[in-house]
Amino acid sequence: MSIREALNEFIRDKFEIGDDPDFTNDVHMFNEGFVDSFGAVEIIHFVEETYNIKITQRDITLYPMNTVNEIAAVVEKKI
Amino acid sequence: MNSITDLLEYAAANFGQRTAFSDKDGEITFACLKNKSQTIAAALLNKTQTGRTKPIMVYMEKSIKSIVSFMGIAYASSPYVPVDYLIPINRLEKTAENLKPAAIITDIGGAENLKNLNIDTEIIIYDEIINTNYDTAPIEKSVSHICDLDPAYIMYTSGSTGAPKGVTITHRGVIDYINWIIDTFPVDSGSIIGMQSAFHFDNSVFDMFVPMLTGAKTVIIPEILFMYPEKLMEFLKQSEISVIFWVPTVMISAADSGILKLPHMKLILFAGEVMPNKQLNVWRKSLPDCTYVNMYGPTEATDIATYYIVDREYENHETLPIGKPCANMRALILNEKNEECKIGEQGELCLSGSAIALGYWNAPELTEKVFVQNPLNKKYDETIYRTGDLVYLNDEGNIIFLGRRDSQIKLRGNRIELGDIESAASAIDGIRNSCAMFDEKNQEIILLLETSEEIKERKFKLLLKQYIPSYMTPSKIMAMKEFPHTASGKIDRVYLRKEFLS
Repeated sequence: MSIREALNEFIRDKFEIGDDPDFTNDVHMFNEGFVDSFGAVEIIHFVEETYNIKITQRDITLYPMNTVNEIAAVVEKKI
Repeated sequence: MNSITDLLEYAAANFGQRTAFSDKDGEITFACLKNKSQTIAAALLNKTQTGRTKPIMVYMEKSIKSIVSFMGIAYASSPYVPVDYLIPINRLEKTAENLKPAAIITDIGGAENLKNLNIDTEIIIYDEIINTNYDTAPIEKSVSHICDLDPAYIMYTSGSTGAPKGVTITHRGVIDYINWIIDTFPVDSGSIIGMQSAFHFDNSVFDMFVPMLTGAKTVIIPEILFMYPEKLMEFLKQSEISVIFWVPTVMISAADSGILKLPHMKLILFAGEVMPNKQLNVWRKSLPDCTYVNMYGPTEATDIATYYIVDREYENHETLPIGKPCANMRALILNEKNEECKIGEQGELCLSGSAIALGYWNAPELTEKVFVQNPLNKKYDETIYRTGDLVYLNDEGNIIFLGRRDSQIKLRGNRIELGDIESAASAIDGIRNSCAMFDEKNQEIILLLETSEEIKERKFKLLLKQYIPSYMTPSKIMAMKEFPHTASGKIDRVYLRKEFLS
């Protein structure tokens, strides 16, 4: 499974989005209300554990991580 | 000192070459800050009307540029008005209608958002005026017109009818507050202050002006980090933050994440809501050499009115006091008969002193309701501010906070009028009525709607966000065909609370 697929599946599952077609890999998941700000931590934990990487405070500050594609891009740089 | 520009003059003269502020894009010294602020002031004096009745709004990302703008506005003798960069455009319009700003300073991204703003004012883009060379000579005259009781800033807070209220604070209030801070707490030129607050919240007054009297540096913390407690702690450690003034919410999530390794931290101040003892004790055990201060104060009292330095461990069932008034503040507790309460007797906390706001901008009726003559002072004029907070004085002379007299709540440090949410909800098509409730146990807002339509929670939240900021958005939204009513025909809120708050 690709990083994007895995992330998409994890987020749909974790935040009870189900098969809502509005949730795409380019949707701003916080602004569009799919994930609340508390959920952000869980997504970061998921990628850190799944891909055995560390997302640093610098990554968070420097790169936008609001869509599946944006998060996947940061993860890809690290593995 | 007469004006907040004197604070910057003092800093430029005494610590000119030291770093004053840093953000994700860089750093600025006090001397450079003065210089750039004067460039802004000169441009403002040339381009627009300024003065004590000509407030200037700043709509910009949290950055050093914002501080340059605020100080530039001050040099131009106008009150500065910071607004939330994420504010819904509808709400910004309401704010601007009340404020009638002489101008709005914004950045390039902000100017794009303001394109459709239906308000008659001048939009000034920071990046276009920061490199201009207008004559700075008029600044001296402009500053000489400032009197210490003129408004220094106006900050908007949630209003119960859906219209934000502009709390108007004087130069004197800021100067006295900052002097009290440096007299009371160990902050000096070696301190590095971490700035949590957004500029449109008044904790930012601490972060902005304490450096100017001490030579300390303030690091503007990128807002995104507050979504990630562990990464935030990493940032504080790497930036060697030694002083921080923030809201308990951040301390709670950091304590719960279990990583409190901050070797440089010396002073932690918190305000905005009740700090639970459980998490405070985690902090005190992890960083035992730190000083912890529970601060209390409404925006109407220049940020802080009372404080309590935590001097012992508090058990979970005990209440952490909000303590005693600051040096420039007097606290009175009045009962329903407007008499001073005895020790242990519950009453409303009323404040007086130099830090009390002039009132609400362009809202004399709202102002007269809560800024009133001290009923205990029959002889002389003395304005007190009725906070609406219920408190009592304990045997040790410390004030204990109990709750609110009205439906104002505090959620994650944000002050919210439930009526503000209701008027936003009721403005949406198909909604006949609404009732917002606060679930204290779970710390969340629940919104009930009277409507015949089917409501999709996520979509309705997006609609609400066109009128209210994200922090006011309810966690749960439920729809009913018809609200229950009391005998007098009002919404039966007691019944609804019982039914929906477990």
